[in-house]
Amino acid sequence: MNIALTLRILGALLLFLAAALLVPLGCALICNDGTAGAFLISAVICAACGGGLFGGFRTGKDLSVREGFAIVTFGWLAFALFGALPYVIAGGIPSYVDAFFEAMSGFTTTGASILTDIEALAPSLLFWRSFTQWLGGMGIIVLSLAILPMLGVGGMQLFKAEVPGPTADRLTPRIQDTAKLLWGVYVLLTAVQTGLLMAGEMSFFDAINHSFTSMATGGFSTRNASVAAFDSAYIDWVITLFMFLAGINFTLHYLALQGRIGDFWRNEEFRFYLWLTLGATFLLTLFNAFGPYDSIVDSLRYSAFQVVSILTTTGYATADYELWAVFCQYLLVACMFIGGCAGSTGGGMKVVRVLLLFKHAHVQLYRLIHPRAVRLVKLGERPVDKEVMQSILGFFALYMGIFVAASFVMAALGMDLISAGTSVITAMGNVGPGLGTVGPIDNFAQVPVVGKLVLALCMLLGRLELYTVLVLVIPSFWRK
Amino acid sequence: MKILVVGAGQVGYFLCERLSLEGHEVTLLDRDPARVHASQDQLNVLVVEGNGASAECMERAGIKQADAIMAVTDQDEVNILACLLAREYGVAKRIARVKSIEYLSRGAVLSKEKLGIDLMINPEDAVADELANLAGREGTFDVAEFAEGQIQFLGYRITKESPLNGLSLRELGEIRGMYRFVVAAVTRHGQTIIPRGDDTIQVGDSIFIFAHKTDLPSIQYLLHIEEETKHKGRRAFILGGGRIGVRLARNLEQRRFDVRLVEHNLERCEQVSAQLGKTMVIHAEGTDIRTLLDEGVADADVFIAVTDDDRTNILCSLLCRHHGTHRTMSLVNLPELLELAPSLGIDACVSPRLSAAGAILKYVRRGQVLSLATIEGSNSEALEILVKKGSSLVDKPLRDLNFPAGAIIGAIVHKNSYEIADGDSRLREGDRVLVFALPEALGKVERFFE
Repeated sequence: MNIALTLRILGALLLFLAAALLVPLGCALICNDGTAGAFLISAVICAACGGGLFGGFRTGKDLSVREGFAIVTFGWLAFALFGALPYVIAGGIPSYVDAFFEAMSGFTTTGASILTDIEALAPSLLFWRSFTQWLGGMGIIVLSLAILPMLGVGGMQLFKAEVPGPTADRLTPRIQDTAKLLWGVYVLLTAVQTGLLMAGEMSFFDAINHSFTSMATGGFSTRNASVAAFDSAYIDWVITLFMFLAGINFTLHYLALQGRIGDFWRNEEFRFYLWLTLGATFLLTLFNAFGPYDSIVDSLRYSAFQVVSILTTTGYATADYELWAVFCQYLLVACMFIGGCAGSTGGGMKVVRVLLLFKHAHVQLYRLIHPRAVRLVKLGERPVDKEVMQSILGFFALYMGIFVAASFVMAALGMDLISAGTSVITAMGNVGPGLGTVGPIDNFAQVPVVGKLVLALCMLLGRLELYTVLVLVIPSFWRK
Repeated sequence: MKILVVGAGQVGYFLCERLSLEGHEVTLLDRDPARVHASQDQLNVLVVEGNGASAECMERAGIKQADAIMAVTDQDEVNILACLLAREYGVAKRIARVKSIEYLSRGAVLSKEKLGIDLMINPEDAVADELANLAGREGTFDVAEFAEGQIQFLGYRITKESPLNGLSLRELGEIRGMYRFVVAAVTRHGQTIIPRGDDTIQVGDSIFIFAHKTDLPSIQYLLHIEEETKHKGRRAFILGGGRIGVRLARNLEQRRFDVRLVEHNLERCEQVSAQLGKTMVIHAEGTDIRTLLDEGVADADVFIAVTDDDRTNILCSLLCRHHGTHRTMSLVNLPELLELAPSLGIDACVSPRLSAAGAILKYVRRGQVLSLATIEGSNSEALEILVKKGSSLVDKPLRDLNFPAGAIIGAIVHKNSYEIADGDSRLREGDRVLVFALPEALGKVERFFE
C-alpha cells in the first residue's frame, strides 16, 4: 500500500472538487442569492487541502489494485466531507453532520434529505445539491479519468474499483477514452431531457436540476413535494422515460448512438430489466385502479412513475405510496433491493446480479435431478465465469448481512421496524425515500446523529458496491 | 492425373488408397517419419517426408508436375498455405481440408475464392450432418442427398419382419406403380450387386434406393417403418463431446430432439455446455451404463457414439442396444471394423473418410459429375451427373442408349420435375441424372456421359 501515492491522487481529486465548486459559484453570482462567498471559501479550502496533498507527496510509483480501492473509497468520502462545506458556511444546513449526510446522499445519488423545507434553501445551494448528484451519477472517478491525464497510468484499477459490476465493458483500448464516451452520452441525454422538460413549461432552473438528478437516478428535487409539485402528466412521463434510460447500461446507449440499436434487445440484462419494469407497473396499475385512482390512465401514470423511480433507485415521488395497498408498498421495497442495470447510474444490487442469482439457483435445483449433468450459468449466449458467480454469491451474502446489521443499529436507536429496515435498504440501494417515518413525504431530519452516520456509510457501501469499501477493513489490506 | 496429397492422416491415407486404385499417380507428403514409413509399406504411392507449408518440400514432392493438390492435414493453416503455394506453381485443382468456420461461412473475409481454393472440405462436419440425417430418418443406415436434397439415396437393412423379405424385384416392380422408387443395389455378405428382375431380397440384405423426398413417407409405410408421429420429445444420446459431437448435438437440437451428450472429461464438458443451448451435458464414461440408465438411455430413440476411439464407440453402442435403446449408430474410422457393423447389430456405422472422399473424388472424375457419395464398406458410388449441351444422349429412349453394365440410372431430375427412370425415359439437355455404379463400371459411366 503506497500511502504517499494515494494521498497525492486524493489531493488531485480535491483540486478537481474545488474546480467543480466554481460551477455553483457561477450560479450564485447569477442568482445573486448571497451564497457566492460560501462557495468561494469552500473552493479555497478544497484547493488548499488538495494542493497541499498533491504538491506535498511526490512519488513515481504506479498504481496497484490496493491503492485503487483506497483512492476510490477515500475519494468519495473526501468529496462528501468537503462537499458539505457550502451548506454549513452559507447557513442553509447549520449542523455539519446533517450537511455531510446531505452531501453523501448527493454524491452517492441516493436522494435522501434531512431538509424539512427544501424551497427555503437558496437557489444556488439547491443547484449544488443537484450538481453533486449529477457528478456522482456517472462516477467522479470516471469523470476524473476523462479529464485528468495524470490518472492515466493505472486508471483501470480506479475504474474497476468504482464501476465494479460483474461485467466489465470496455469500449475503447484506452480507459480514458471509454470514460469520455460514457460521459459524453451522459451529458447528451441530460441536455435532451432539459430541453424536453422546458418544452413542458418548466423553468430552466427546475428543468436542469431535475435533469441532473433523474439522469443520475439521484432524486433530489427543488420542490418540497418533489415532482408532484408540477402536477403535469407530460412532465411525469418525460421523467419516467429518462429515469428508465438512466437505469440502462450506458454502454448500450453508446452502441445505440452508433446505430446498433439491436444490442438493446440482445442484452439479456436489459430484457430482464424491461420485463421487471413492465411487470411491476402492470401489477401496481391493476391494484391502484381499484384503490386511490379513479381512472386506469391515472393509475398507470402514477404507478409507472413510482415503479421506475424506485427500481432505478431515483427516489422521486409523485404520490404518497404509503397510502397505497400494502401489496404495492411491498412490491416497491422489493424493487429497492434490485436496482438498475450494471453500468447504469442506478444503485441497488443490480439487475444482472439478481438475474444470475436466480439462474444459479435454477442450476442447483437441476443438479439435484441430474447429478452428473454439467450445466453452466449463462448470460445471453455466454457462460458466466465461476469466479464471477462466486463473487455475486459473496456480494449477496454481504448485502444481506449489512442490511440486517445496519437495521439492528437503526432499531436500537429507537426507530420502528418498518422505518429501520427501509431506511437502511433505501440508503444501501441509493434510492432515497423509504417507508414509515422516512417515507416519500417525510425526511431524514429526525433520525439520530449516529443513525445518519450509519446511513451515510450504507450509501457509500451501496454506491461502491460493497467490495471496494469493505476490502479496506480486511487487516491484510494494510500489511505489506 | 498426377495428384499431390498433403497429410497422411485418416483422410489422406484413404484418398491415396482410392486414387491409386483408380489409376492416378499419387504423391503423399507428410512431416511425420513414422507415418511416412507406414504409408510407404502399405500404399501404392510415392511418399515424401516434409512440411506441406514449405515450398522446398513441395518441390521435392513434385508439385511442378502435379495436376491437383489435396491438402488434408489436421491444421487449417498448413492446408491453406499449401494450396496458396500450389497456386503459385500453377497446379490446376486445389482442395483443402478446413475446419474453421472463419473460412467456410458465406461472408468469410478470406473466402475460398480469394484463397484460390476450388474446394474446401470438412469431414468432421460432414459426418456430423450425415449422422443427424440418419437420426432423423427412421430405419435408414445410409443417407445421401442429391439435387439440393430433392433426390435421396437411402440404405435400408432387411429384417425378418420386413415386408420386402422374399420378394423378387419383378414382384416389387408391380407395386412400384404406387411407390415410386428404384432399388439401385443390394449388398449381401459384403458383396454389392445391381439386382435384376429375378433376384429376391433376403433377410440380412442391405438395399439402396433412389427416391424423391416427397415419396419418402409412403416408402416408410411400405417398409413398415413407423414414421415418428411425435416430432417433439424424441431423445438422442451422443457419446463424445468432440467437434463432431458438438455439431451433431446442435444439428439434432434443431430437429427438436431432446439431446443428451455424454463426455468423460469434465473440462471438456464445461466447454461443450458453453457452446450448446438446450443439450444436457453429462459428465460420465460411455461404459458407465448406470449413469446413462439414470438419464434415460433405455428408452432413448437413438444413441450415437462419436468419440475418437472406434472400440469405445462400438462397445458403447452395443451396450446401449443391450439395454434397450431403439437405434444405435457409431462413428468408425477403421475400414476393417466398418464391415462388422451389420453383423453386430449396430444400425449405422459412419466414417468421416467416406464423406470426405465423396466430396473430393468428383474433382478427379471426368465428365460432369456434380456430386457423389460412396457406399459403406464397398467402393461403389452414387453419382449425380449433368447432361451437357449438345450431348448425343439427348432425346433417345434409355433402352437404346447402350448404358454400361454394372451401373443403373436411378432418377432423372428435369428443370422443374423428376422421374424414376425406365426404358422409355428420355434425357434432356441440362438434366441431372442419378446413377449408381459398381467400382468396375465407374470409368465406363464417366465416358458414357462425356
